[in-house]
Amino acid sequence: MINKKVEIVWIILIFFTIFAYLLGKLELINTLLVGVLLVTTFIKGQLVIDYFMGLKNVSYKYRFIPTLWLTLILSLVAAAYY
Amino acid sequence: MQSNQVSREPYPPGDFAIWIVIYVELITFGLLFVGYAFSRRADVLTFNNSQLIINKTSGFIDTLILITSSYFIVKAVHAIKSSNFSLQKANQIASKWLLAAIAFGGMFLVNKLLEFSDIFGQGITLSTNKFFMFYLLLTMFHFMHVTLGTVILFNIFKKTKKDGYSKEDHRGLETGAVYWHLVDLLWIVLFPLVYIIR
Repeated sequence: MINKKVEIVWIILIFFTIFAYLLGKLELINTLLVGVLLVTTFIKGQLVIDYFMGLKNVSYKYRFIPTLWLTLILSLVAAAYY
Repeated sequence: MQSNQVSREPYPPGDFAIWIVIYVELITFGLLFVGYAFSRRADVLTFNNSQLIINKTSGFIDTLILITSSYFIVKAVHAIKSSNFSLQKANQIASKWLLAAIAFGGMFLVNKLLEFSDIFGQGITLSTNKFFMFYLLLTMFHFMHVTLGTVILFNIFKKTKKDGYSKEDHRGLETGAVYWHLVDLLWIVLFPLVYIIR
């Protein structure tokens, strides 16, 4: 069960990476899609934190710190962009 | 009322000291990411024009490599921690996943060296402009982390060859694993920020 979850996480990470690359390569990036890209980056980061780093079922205080970091950094990147 | 609650581990995987290192690394890279974003805001034209010179495909390949190597590491940890194999068999399986992750780490480093060689070949340096200062600083700093991570993984690999990890004692393996996932997490933010967003 855990193994299957990890496989699904890997597929999602690859999918979002291809999405990001196509946005850049085909020069489709615009103001709206930057927002979408930042959201997908947040999802990718959170998946790594939860399922690769193994913080999904660890005490909230340990999971909270990298999640807060990710939220803060991507929010500030968005603030700088918009 | 408490029936739906998941029982949570009190501590994260690996040595506690690695988590201090991880928090420090997150802060350091975080400051550089935010510095990049606000410097870009102050000079969008230079950043957008300079970004056209860097190789998006190379950044994309690097991302695929790191994500996949992270996945291999999860499989290695799982082989030791959660499988029902004998000690010898579990270490044997873990060593194969680790070797694959190390190979991918090596591929990342080679790909990055080719990218740097191309950039330096065009006469670009840290002082060319602010975009390239951030680009080189971030990617080279990250490159150093991947190099260290690969060395750590190699040492873990050597220990699996001596059947050194068990279900009860695998803290060293988990410590190296979370460091490698940190390297992956940092790149996941770096790639869209530096290579894609314009």
